[in-house]
Amino acid sequence: MIKLDKISKTYHTDKVQTLALKEIDLHVRKSEFVCIMGPSGCGKSTLLNIIGLLDRPGAGNIHIGGLPVQSYKDKHVARLRNDTFGFIFQSFHLINDLRVIDNVELPLLYRSMPGSERRERARAALEKVGLGARMEHYPNQLSGGQQQRVAIARAMVGQPDVLLADEPTGNLDSKMGAEVMDILLKLNEEGTTVVMVTHDEAEARRAHRIVRVFDGQLVA
Amino acid sequence: MLKNYLLTAWNVFLRRKLFTAINLACIILTLVVLLVVTAMLQEAFYPSGVEHRSNRFLQVHMIEATNEKHTSLSRGPLGYRVIDKYLKPMPGVEMVAAVTGIEPTAVIMNGSSTEVNMRHADAEYWRVLDFKVLAGRVPNEDDVTQGRMVAVLARSMAVKLFGDPAPLGRKIETGGQTFSVIGVVQDALHLNAYADMWVPITTYPNTNYRHQMTGRFFALLLARSPDDLPAIRAEVQRIAARMDFAGDPEFTSGQIWADSKIDMFARSLSSSKESNPDAGALVLGGITFLMFLFMLLPALNLVNLNVGRIMERSTEIGVRKAFGASNGQLAAQLVVENVVLCLAGGAIALALAAGVLWWLEAAGPIPYLRVGINFAVFGWGLLITIVFGVLSGLVPALKMSRLDPVRALKGAA
Repeated sequence: MIKLDKISKTYHTDKVQTLALKEIDLHVRKSEFVCIMGPSGCGKSTLLNIIGLLDRPGAGNIHIGGLPVQSYKDKHVARLRNDTFGFIFQSFHLINDLRVIDNVELPLLYRSMPGSERRERARAALEKVGLGARMEHYPNQLSGGQQQRVAIARAMVGQPDVLLADEPTGNLDSKMGAEVMDILLKLNEEGTTVVMVTHDEAEARRAHRIVRVFDGQLVA
Repeated sequence: MLKNYLLTAWNVFLRRKLFTAINLACIILTLVVLLVVTAMLQEAFYPSGVEHRSNRFLQVHMIEATNEKHTSLSRGPLGYRVIDKYLKPMPGVEMVAAVTGIEPTAVIMNGSSTEVNMRHADAEYWRVLDFKVLAGRVPNEDDVTQGRMVAVLARSMAVKLFGDPAPLGRKIETGGQTFSVIGVVQDALHLNAYADMWVPITTYPNTNYRHQMTGRFFALLLARSPDDLPAIRAEVQRIAARMDFAGDPEFTSGQIWADSKIDMFARSLSSSKESNPDAGALVLGGITFLMFLFMLLPALNLVNLNVGRIMERSTEIGVRKAFGASNGQLAAQLVVENVVLCLAGGAIALALAAGVLWWLEAAGPIPYLRVGINFAVFGWGLLITIVFGVLSGLVPALKMSRLDPVRALKGAA
């Protein structure tokens, strides 16, 4: 599903160069649940962003679904992100100016799809995460756990092949965190590939595989 | 997608009320000024009202007369002889009218004096211009030929002098002459039409005016078709070259020009002696450029405000990018938001501009002004508004749409 070959990434500031990733090789198979673990600043989120085509590597090759995507232009990358990936962020990143249902519809806006179908799919996604009654609310009217469930609904509404979750339980208490994990596991059981960054060892053990990053390199 | 854009825009505007108010005020003020100026320019230069045939007439408003040694120079209205001897017989025109400029005169009525702006006009004047006759009639060929002491009043002056909008047959005394009112016409502000009272050219106390090369007259040359105007211009140039000043004590030669209204304005600005058919276009281009500059300043201010506003929304931009928005789609969204704001401002500005124009007519700082928001002005307003929206939204939109999504998600735009 996703194949990284010798991926490196260096951040440049005026005077300092920071090596974030060094020659990473990683292969994520279809329907796999992979957790990326490591200390803060080791490059986990950078790796996730590169997998999700939000960031470009300095060196190396990325294959998504068997196709090399390195040379893709903005429009094609946008299309690929829309079709293939669903993102879940630690800080939820819901748009506070939009209602819950409009937030969930967001990925479908960038597809040629009638409004009624978009609305129906968003409704179904919200019901799946138990928020069917909150569609007309605004994000700031919801608890943190509810907001993350909205974010999951948004990530899965387009039925992407891969869910990329960057510490999705990091801002939640243990009960809500467990609920979010249960949803992700269920989606994975239904066939969605999940790549998740986490600090929580217990959560990571529920995945199929743990990938550990240290100083920009894979260590296990 | 548009609905989502509009919904987002609406909520952003509501959330940031002060920003929205400043933006709207900026747009409204600029557009009100532009719309009022556009309406006034249209009134002045566009064929409308009394001068609705101005697209096919030219004016000869000035003669520049000089002597052999060029020691004496006079620039001013024409003498009647220029019109009568040279312009009236010229080929290629449908009609040539003669009329004086405004001649302020005092009318004595019931023992009190009222200042009246009077013109002397020939019969053709009433056929070249299209006055709306409210009562009675306008002078005809016979009235002029016979030198009948008849007068036409503008409605406001009729009411002012007689308290009656149709004082037909009433007498007016001015300059030792008595005129009988034969008609009342609607007030008109147009360049060649503005006056309070008109009397036949032949009612001057003596006939000296008929022999003068310089004087107080303007000529209106009505073409059969707008296509004939260049040929008429050229013919007037040829006529100017052969004008005979014999008998004139001061001047030996002179130059005249046939201009459209906008060309005449251009000539008055440049003091040009050339007959340049592009002068009007240059003036219009200059006015358009000034209007663009006037619009540019608030647009730049809006660009600045918009960059700040959109910077605050970098996370949203990052999220939209993450879920598949292309740079083009994001730029379009941000421009749409701005255009919506500008259209809202435009709608308010149109209403306010209509109010200002109504006040200009009603309060009368400019006598006889008849302006209003018409479809042409509305169309210009709409166009200006959209240009305004795109101008002030495009730069920040392009800048923000190219944000690195990772940095945008961190709110570090």
